[in-house]
Amino acid sequence: MKKKRKIESNRLGYLMTIPATLLILLVDIYPLMNGVTLSLQKYNLQHPKNRRFIGLENYANLFQDSEFLGVLGYTFFYTFVTVITAYLFGLILALIMNRKMPGRGIYRTLALLPWAVAPSVANVCWRLLFNDRVGLVNIFLMKTGLIEEPILFLAKGEIAKLTVIFTDFWRDFPFMMIVLLAAMSSIPKDLYESAYIDGAGFWSSFRYITMPMIKGVSAISTILMFIWVFNRFDNIYLLTGGGPNKATYTLPIMSYFTAFMRGDMGKASAMAVVMLIVMTIVAIIYLRVMKSEVEQ
Amino acid sequence: MKDNRIIIKINNVVIYVVFAVILLVLLLPLISMFGTAIKTHDAALTTVSLFPEKLADLSFENFGYVMLKVGFGKNMLNSVIVSIAVTLACIFCAAPAGYAISRYHGPYFRVYSVFLLLLQMFPIMLMLMPQYLIFTKLRITNSLLSVIISYTTSNLAFSIWLLKGFYDSIPIELEQAAMVDGCSKFRAYVRVVFPLTLPGIATVSVFTMLNAWNEYTVASVFLKKESAMTMTLGLQKFVQQNGADWPSLMAAACIATIPAILFVLFSQKYLIEGMTAGAVKG
Repeated sequence: MKKKRKIESNRLGYLMTIPATLLILLVDIYPLMNGVTLSLQKYNLQHPKNRRFIGLENYANLFQDSEFLGVLGYTFFYTFVTVITAYLFGLILALIMNRKMPGRGIYRTLALLPWAVAPSVANVCWRLLFNDRVGLVNIFLMKTGLIEEPILFLAKGEIAKLTVIFTDFWRDFPFMMIVLLAAMSSIPKDLYESAYIDGAGFWSSFRYITMPMIKGVSAISTILMFIWVFNRFDNIYLLTGGGPNKATYTLPIMSYFTAFMRGDMGKASAMAVVMLIVMTIVAIIYLRVMKSEVEQ
Repeated sequence: MKDNRIIIKINNVVIYVVFAVILLVLLLPLISMFGTAIKTHDAALTTVSLFPEKLADLSFENFGYVMLKVGFGKNMLNSVIVSIAVTLACIFCAAPAGYAISRYHGPYFRVYSVFLLLLQMFPIMLMLMPQYLIFTKLRITNSLLSVIISYTTSNLAFSIWLLKGFYDSIPIELEQAAMVDGCSKFRAYVRVVFPLTLPGIATVSVFTMLNAWNEYTVASVFLKKESAMTMTLGLQKFVQQNGADWPSLMAAACIATIPAILFVLFSQKYLIEGMTAGAVKG
């Protein structure tokens, strides 16, 4: 009797996952598998009749293509710099806000805005600010005499590579701040008090109390952010469109143009699969960290 | 002791001021957006100040212009429809699934929840290309339905996980008591447990709504027809067509930002809860 009941109740559990599972299978998993098979085909939307299976040729071509390898390198650079700067800045803000001070709530609200504003909105604003003729940043720098010629933030390759990192950083630091702030506020206050009585200053209590206590949250949030930034398309596309002269191409941008402008679905899918492989490695690390966090 | 306190006080003031300056610089894009939007057309193109310099330069004509003449109103309406539809669909699918992985045990549910975690890591481009081919075959590109389906799915994993956390915190005795009183398990869920997770539902709603409102990538692939464009696309179309018309553009950007700002102001509690629950926003 008891056993029958359990089977019955588990059945309800299965049933309750059905709507979500159906959507995920049809809209995520099926296209995903489709994408992997596309990457093994020669398939150009402009010549759909030439579609055929070519094995790993798309991949072989990619890894002989110096442009692709350059883009792969920049994608890693872009992701690492964005995540590290967002983490460090978020950490500093969280440290400042983790103390009693007037107007803390307002500050937190304001600091959340860059994260909540649509990237399409934010990047329109950046375009205006970084404009070489009417942009306030250039006008300010020239008025103070720091520069004589306006800086071409978006039109010069090397500078644009950094500008897009900056705008992505701007969008990401609030997340880090909020997550770290939550982790810090859960540290018992008496730990700091006893450290203070023992003569510990700011640095030593930061190093021996705060850091160890936020280690786990730091690891998980940086890994998650690595995934988001590595996959991110809109920030660069909306700011520079991958330009000037492909200087700000990252893997998502490159595969987007390959697929939807040149119609080369096979090659573009192969690029996306390379991203999937990178993500898989990151995911394994993520699951390991999660597991060790739960065990602790 | 007293000296110490004064030093701490001074310290606090310094930090306070430095912090205010940092925030001001960080919010410069939004400040200049607003400042430019409320300038008259001529003033915006001839003066470079953050805000209108004279009262004569102040005007709200740009807002009316973009909403009525440029068709940005239609884009906004599309975004509203999409956001609401996605939120409802997402709750409809995620609430029972979250309950299931919270209450039931066994290999299926364990694998399912890890699988959901991994789902968020798949590169969007890899799914987007075949999705585009499939949706074209189904003839649903250029309709809001395409983005509604896509957004709902991409918000599911996070929503299920978040709601699972809420269900976990509700004692199972409540359902058992309801079942003793003659409720079926499903009825117990609908009548007793679901109402208790309303804060979780609110958190999920706030997140999915904001995500759907702000999304650009998927929309740019699926929606090419002007009548179907959402707010994010409308803004870009505006940039392409009237590149240097900064005041109108900034007015449009301002209108598009209002929901985000309202969200931060009024649902901060839920936003922060969602972000710290291992939040997903990509």
